[in-house]
Amino acid sequence: MSIPQPGASGRGPASGSAAQQAPRAHGFPSPARDYLDGGIDLNRELVRDRTSTFLMRVAGNAMAASGIRDGDELVVDRAATPRHGSVVVAVLDGELVVRRMVFDGTVPGLAVDAPPAALGSHTRSAAGPGTVILESDDGAAPVVLPAAGPEGLRVWGVATYCLHRL
Amino acid sequence: MTQAMALVDVNNFYVSCERAFDPRLEGRPVVVLSNNDGCVVARSPEAKALGLRTGTPWFQLAPQASAWGLVARSSNYELYGDMSARVMELLGRWGTWQQVYSIDECFLGLTGTPEQVLETGRRIRAAVQRNLGLPVCVGIAPTKTLAKFANHVAKNNPDDERIGGVFSVSARPRAVEALMSGLPATEVWGVGRKTGERLDRLGIRTIAELRASDPAWIRSRFSVVLERTVLELNGTPSVPDVDEHAGPTQVIFSRSFSRPVTAADEMDDVMNVYAQRAAARLAMQGQQARMVTVTAGTSRFTGPDGSVSRAVALSRATADPVTITRSAVRAMRSVLTEGVPYTRAGVMLTGLEPAGTAQEMLAGFGDQEPDRHLEAVLERVRGRFGGTSIGLGQGGLSEQGSWTMRREFASPQYTTRFSDLPVVRA
Repeated sequence: MSIPQPGASGRGPASGSAAQQAPRAHGFPSPARDYLDGGIDLNRELVRDRTSTFLMRVAGNAMAASGIRDGDELVVDRAATPRHGSVVVAVLDGELVVRRMVFDGTVPGLAVDAPPAALGSHTRSAAGPGTVILESDDGAAPVVLPAAGPEGLRVWGVATYCLHRL
Repeated sequence: MTQAMALVDVNNFYVSCERAFDPRLEGRPVVVLSNNDGCVVARSPEAKALGLRTGTPWFQLAPQASAWGLVARSSNYELYGDMSARVMELLGRWGTWQQVYSIDECFLGLTGTPEQVLETGRRIRAAVQRNLGLPVCVGIAPTKTLAKFANHVAKNNPDDERIGGVFSVSARPRAVEALMSGLPATEVWGVGRKTGERLDRLGIRTIAELRASDPAWIRSRFSVVLERTVLELNGTPSVPDVDEHAGPTQVIFSRSFSRPVTAADEMDDVMNVYAQRAAARLAMQGQQARMVTVTAGTSRFTGPDGSVSRAVALSRATADPVTITRSAVRAMRSVLTEGVPYTRAGVMLTGLEPAGTAQEMLAGFGDQEPDRHLEAVLERVRGRFGGTSIGLGQGGLSEQGSWTMRREFASPQYTTRFSDLPVVRA
């Protein structure tokens, strides 16, 4: 039985010219690791790379339709690539906010409380300078896209799990 | 294929850690204050641009703070320690070897053509930014002294797009020549002010002039240490893998072993001795520390790299050798892998402040072996009556007391305490 070592998760230096410096498993395989069966380690299951993963606490219910509620904890991976439909932590007005990432073509935007199913069909509507408002045809909440400003849209990390207390 | 090394360090580490979780701090002057909010220990570039100096007492700045838009933060060593461990783990994945040099910098062994190594440096910088949101500079060279120099160049030319935070000595020989002719010898790693003055009297003022000096002559006039510096400036690795230095901001005790250490028990002994040495040095210079960092590494000659490091924040600043030693032993226990042949280890003390009223110096701990019996008795009492029931002097006792640290501007312990997680608005 062989268990992957935490420090050597698939992520790390990319291939190419630096391939010879690809990440290694740390140290010799330890005999101790071969019979490590002390139950399920949530760090191992929920954390892809412990150097880039942070926990955050949610304040507010704007993402409740996505199952993210006030007081929940999010597992956030700074190194993950946000895609259409990813739940992300973004920087808005100096604040960290959780939103769903949407792409209007190649323009990234942030949606409030729009479950992935509602993201497919949007119609563009009038908007003030710097913003585009998309409304979905099923009446879901409007999607606000901050147009790329001087810094563009800043994604802090991608939320990968939500811990919800029952 | 050449062997090179990189010195990677985080820019304005404490401030950068604060900013990583609080975007409001971006683009404005920020300072981090020493223990008890005494004086400035770290500055953002904006604070440097205001002319604020490290060591300035906060009470002198406080009246103008709001006019300047200046934000102060109390030292948050729990946060800095955790971020340091993440940085070092991430960097360790890139090197053929790693030597952690301080809480926010390490040397990494790199292999490849000069172009490949430079590209690796750029990827390292991008990786730390991506994974941790921390800005780093990378200096690449054949020797540690030159890597330090290259890092200095990268750091001091933030707006040079050709450099972009990563400077390699071998990739830019002509630029190096010009830079060395323009910088004083005292900018070289390990060349202090006094040595600089003596060099100056001998007509050696710039780095280029020091580099061109005859190493044997330097040895006879100065020391073997400065001779090594000259050799290193010329590309010959000469700095031994030993480090023992004490300064106003950190105390380091690190060594290579004569034979690999593979057993955790044996590493306990190593930590015991190294931590005692570092603590003795700390007490000797009348300081106490808020953080203990331990490191261990393997050699590329004995096996795959298994570099580990861990920083732990102490509940308050102390010079107590027992507290420091115990922290070091436990920290090392938590990161090392039994069976890995470690060939070097070190203990670093940071977050230093003058030992004041809360001073807990114990005489007689200097260089002697730690008193294991005493430790064992203390542990047994603690086991029975609780962690704060007994301690040596004030060390190890309850945190509450008249000397409790002032942390008026403390940020939350975002990454080490579950009740302190960063808040994300939904």
